Amino acid sequence: MAKWGMVIDLEKCVGCQACTVACGMENNRLPGEMWQDVIFYSEGTYPSAQLKWFPRPCQHCEHPSCMAVCPTGATYKTEDGVVLIDWDKCIGCKYCMIACPYGVRFYTDEKPLVAPDMRKVHESHDEHSWNPPWKMPDAREDWKHGVGIQPHDVVSKCTFCYHRISKAPKGTPDLDPQDPKLREFTPACVVTCAPGARFFGDLSNPESVVSRLIGDKRGVRLLDELGNKPQVYYVTGDGGAVPSTRAFNKKS
Amino acid sequence: MKENIFNPKISRRRFLQAAGAAGAVGAAGIGQLPGFSTIAKAQAKTEAGKSGETVITKSFCHQCPARCGIDVYTTDGRVHAVFGTLDNPLSEGKLCPKGHYGQYLLYDADRFKGPMKRTNPKKGRNEDPKFVPISWDEALDTVAKRMNDLREKNESHRFGLIFGRGWGATDVGVLQSLSKLYGSTNIGLGHSSMCSDGSEETKKILDGNHAYNAYDYANTNYMLVFGAGFLESFRPFTGNMRAWGVMRTKPAKTKVTFVDVHLNTGAASSDRALLIKPGTDGAMALAIAHVLLTENLWDKPFVGNFVDGVNRFKTGETVAAVFTDEDIRNRAQAKEEAAVKKAAADKVAAEKAAVEKAKTEAAHDKLIKAQVLAKGDPAAEKAIAEKIAKFEKEEAKKALSKETDRMQREALDKDKKPEPEIKAGQALFNQKWVLGLPEWWNAVLKDCTPEWAEKITTIPAKIIHDVAREFGTTHPAIAIFERGAHAHTNGTYSGMAIHSLNALVGSMFAEGGLCYQMKPPAGKWPVNLDDFMDDYAKAPERKKPRIDMAKTEKWPMVSNMLQEVAKNHNAAAPYKLDTCMFYMTGPVFSGPDCTAWEKMLNEVFVISTTPFPDETAVFADLVLPDHTYLERLQVADTYPYQGYPISMIRTPAVKPLYDTRVFGDMLIDLGKRIKGSTGEYYKKLGNTENIIKGIASIFAEKPGDNGVNSYETWKEKGVWYQKPYHWRQIRGEFYEWDKATQSYSKPMTQEAVKVNLLKTPSGKFEFKSGYLEEEHHVHYLMEKFGLPAEMIAFPQYLPSKHGGGGDLHFVSPKLAMQAEGRGANLPHVTACVQPTQGGKRTVYLEIHPETAAKRGIKDGDRVRIKSTVGAIEVYARLYEGIRPDTVALPMIHGHWGMGRWSKNSGVSGSTNEVTPNVSDAISGQCCYHDAKVFVEKV
Repeated sequence: MAKWGMVIDLEKCVGCQACTVACGMENNRLPGEMWQDVIFYSEGTYPSAQLKWFPRPCQHCEHPSCMAVCPTGATYKTEDGVVLIDWDKCIGCKYCMIACPYGVRFYTDEKPLVAPDMRKVHESHDEHSWNPPWKMPDAREDWKHGVGIQPHDVVSKCTFCYHRISKAPKGTPDLDPQDPKLREFTPACVVTCAPGARFFGDLSNPESVVSRLIGDKRGVRLLDELGNKPQVYYVTGDGGAVPSTRAFNKKS
Repeated sequence: MKENIFNPKISRRRFLQAAGAAGAVGAAGIGQLPGFSTIAKAQAKTEAGKSGETVITKSFCHQCPARCGIDVYTTDGRVHAVFGTLDNPLSEGKLCPKGHYGQYLLYDADRFKGPMKRTNPKKGRNEDPKFVPISWDEALDTVAKRMNDLREKNESHRFGLIFGRGWGATDVGVLQSLSKLYGSTNIGLGHSSMCSDGSEETKKILDGNHAYNAYDYANTNYMLVFGAGFLESFRPFTGNMRAWGVMRTKPAKTKVTFVDVHLNTGAASSDRALLIKPGTDGAMALAIAHVLLTENLWDKPFVGNFVDGVNRFKTGETVAAVFTDEDIRNRAQAKEEAAVKKAAADKVAAEKAAVEKAKTEAAHDKLIKAQVLAKGDPAAEKAIAEKIAKFEKEEAKKALSKETDRMQREALDKDKKPEPEIKAGQALFNQKWVLGLPEWWNAVLKDCTPEWAEKITTIPAKIIHDVAREFGTTHPAIAIFERGAHAHTNGTYSGMAIHSLNALVGSMFAEGGLCYQMKPPAGKWPVNLDDFMDDYAKAPERKKPRIDMAKTEKWPMVSNMLQEVAKNHNAAAPYKLDTCMFYMTGPVFSGPDCTAWEKMLNEVFVISTTPFPDETAVFADLVLPDHTYLERLQVADTYPYQGYPISMIRTPAVKPLYDTRVFGDMLIDLGKRIKGSTGEYYKKLGNTENIIKGIASIFAEKPGDNGVNSYETWKEKGVWYQKPYHWRQIRGEFYEWDKATQSYSKPMTQEAVKVNLLKTPSGKFEFKSGYLEEEHHVHYLMEKFGLPAEMIAFPQYLPSKHGGGGDLHFVSPKLAMQAEGRGANLPHVTACVQPTQGGKRTVYLEIHPETAAKRGIKDGDRVRIKSTVGAIEVYARLYEGIRPDTVALPMIHGHWGMGRWSKNSGVSGSTNEVTPNVSDAISGQCCYHDAKVFVEKV
């Protein structure tokens, strides 16, 4: 069984947010409900100030804090290593949102970031929380795996595009979007990333590109000291940066 | 308060508040755990629906002019995804963030649903047009009647059609045909002066190509970027990002120096970010050129060299044009001195060799003597024989080595070019593919030291020096510039200084350098226009000056002058328009000093063709909505990319959702209603699909690399292309691509280079521009720039004349998320539009903390930006990444007629309400980044 993971090369990442948008449209997210957020921060003083950023998907931890606190078992980890939410079980208590040290979870019924409320403009008349005309094909919707337009009162998050990766041929070491045979099984953010900063593959396969990248380029994980063991790795080269501990708290 | 950067939305307190709000039903009572009061019932189990097959339609993106090929995913008649096309040269399967919004625009809740007419006769920003739906027949009859009436009054020039983004034959081509047949020079007033004409004009002046460049980024090793948002807005954005991934991780990593006025993502991603004083980029480029010349770092094969190889580019010293008699005497004297020196050295060497030889002979003699003595003792005899053999072997080796040295030297001498015979009166510098380098040096460059540039640009001289050395020693190197550098009154001259660097390091048409985009082949239209020109259309009176006065005495050198239209109309000079149609442009928001347009739109009959509400439509008398791009059949040539020709086609992913009509067909249907032969022409032409079939007919004889050879296969693939680019400059020689050998190996004549590549009067890259020196330009330029005639032709630094009257430079950059003119009403865009400043509901004015403190402004304060032309209000963001003398506000929000989401943006008006209408006299480039403003706390 694969253990899916992602490698993000921060030397290539240019902070364009195509991942954010591709994900948002692929997964029918509301404005501001950014499963694939890119976090920006700045440090230093003119004229040598620094502007930095790093993309922050769900880290799909080996030891997910969110899963430990979920009172209903709605958050679970699949056999192939993906952390998902079963919307049929989620009661929207938000404990997971507090427990997650990476801030990657979103509650459906927040006040809209941008008014007027899209959910009112594209109103749903059934159990869905809204009904955008560009929504994914009906057959793709899968609440058990947190895929589709979610109901009210649930928490949502990045699924590693489970509707895509779960259909990949078994034993595939890497999902390379430039390979026409694998493209449709690759997460949307990886498919579109123009500088090629994102890689997706099987971490349990030491021959996979992701494993080799982590090995060769000394992959690091966010907040590694917490022991969550994310399955999202960052490689930094000499260009990009993940925030050092001092930068975790920025002045508001 | 400190904020968690991972999760700014959730703090313990906010969690409790949010939980309480969401749990309105139960209301957290005493004794209840606060979190649990919100618990809703688990959702009912759902079953997956059923879906039909997913169809992928080929199209190309519309969110910027780059034209990336896209796959449009449609299932059950619903478009649900857009991704880059894998086998399309521009996207190669990738997209920028904007590309993914296609389906959102298709289903935009604010779209116009069909043709409408205004019923409220009063017009104004706050007047509801009170549109009522009408039929296409009524709409087009109304327009046609106005056009026919104007023609009868001999006033057809008073019908204007203004366009912004034109795609190709099926829109621009059609409007150009209408301009000729109907007889109005004002049909087809382009927006290029409000886009980036400064860039195109610069290239025309220096290398004869009025065009943007195509670049070979993947093979470049150094990139010097002046005021081009390479990783935000410079086009093609997707291509740039793909190239970035290659450039920054190839074994010899491309080094990047980024010159801008604030730290944006491009500057932050580079190796060196230099925050330069706005409008002074040209000075830095000149200083770089100065260093390249004084330090002997220019590319000799392309540029040429001093005839005798002696570099005479010395700071502050002029270079003589020709050798004088004295030069010749000095040369002869130097030669003599050298000969004497050589003779002396030769003598010493010969003496040394003689001593060596004597030593060797003595040693040999000694061994022979020892051999004689050793006779009779076999052991000693053997030992001495071995010694002698070894000695002789070593001597032979030495002799061979000497002989090899001699032969090599002889061979080298044979290849050595003979010392040039220099005569008095001969040019000092032999220019290969450039013109006017010594003259440029003498007139401008000799004093443009890094120290001189530091005083102007505020960039330390040492850094300019470092950049110049890197640029001159890291080949191939490219210098890029865009509006940041040239949207100033000195923009063309600054652009010339920057683009000249590409010639100095030999990057023109070189691998890893830059070239120009080839046009794809196009088959003929089915009907010949010239057969339908009537006497009215042919009459000399039709050659009236355009209302924008482009190509008249007022603006003799420009292509377009859209920013002048409202001003000229309002002043009735040269005349007033009667009716004005708009396609893909909204100068009432995007033009400088944009409120002037409100007056004009109040007076003319306005026809808007946008599928969406916008400020032009607020003033419209008629709305004739176009299809959105996923509904269109439309073609385009590529945006400049890698040089080889590409031709794109959009095919509809779904049937039009509403009663809209694609712009080209709208024009054709309008043309059919014009009396006389114009109507006949358009009836014969039929529709845009016939044009496209005509264009595609040529692919049968010129099939694309991907097998496209017909209209049908073109639609199937979405793109026709033929690799590679046809020409290349290699070490100062030009070659044409040879199909047989698959290499650039057919040498080109000087004439062929002039016709195809360096299209200047001289057929060379002209540091002294023949185009600017043309008589009718010289006098105009002397007047506009106050320069003496002999200075006109050179790249140089002239201080920009900043309008606006304030004390802070004001720039209005474009962001990566900004969809083509529509982003402000896309909540998904607004939600993450300005990530560098945390702009998630609005965009912030970037202001340096010291600058803010002096004005009593704190982070997040509401501030007013004021200039001589107007004022707007925004929120301020304190940022150490911007120059203290500059403020930056992205040009996106502040809309007042665009739709329901654009209204609450937090920006009270367009950046153009504070940007004065000032233009570069040469290119006509609107100086968007040249204004100075006041900023004060509200």
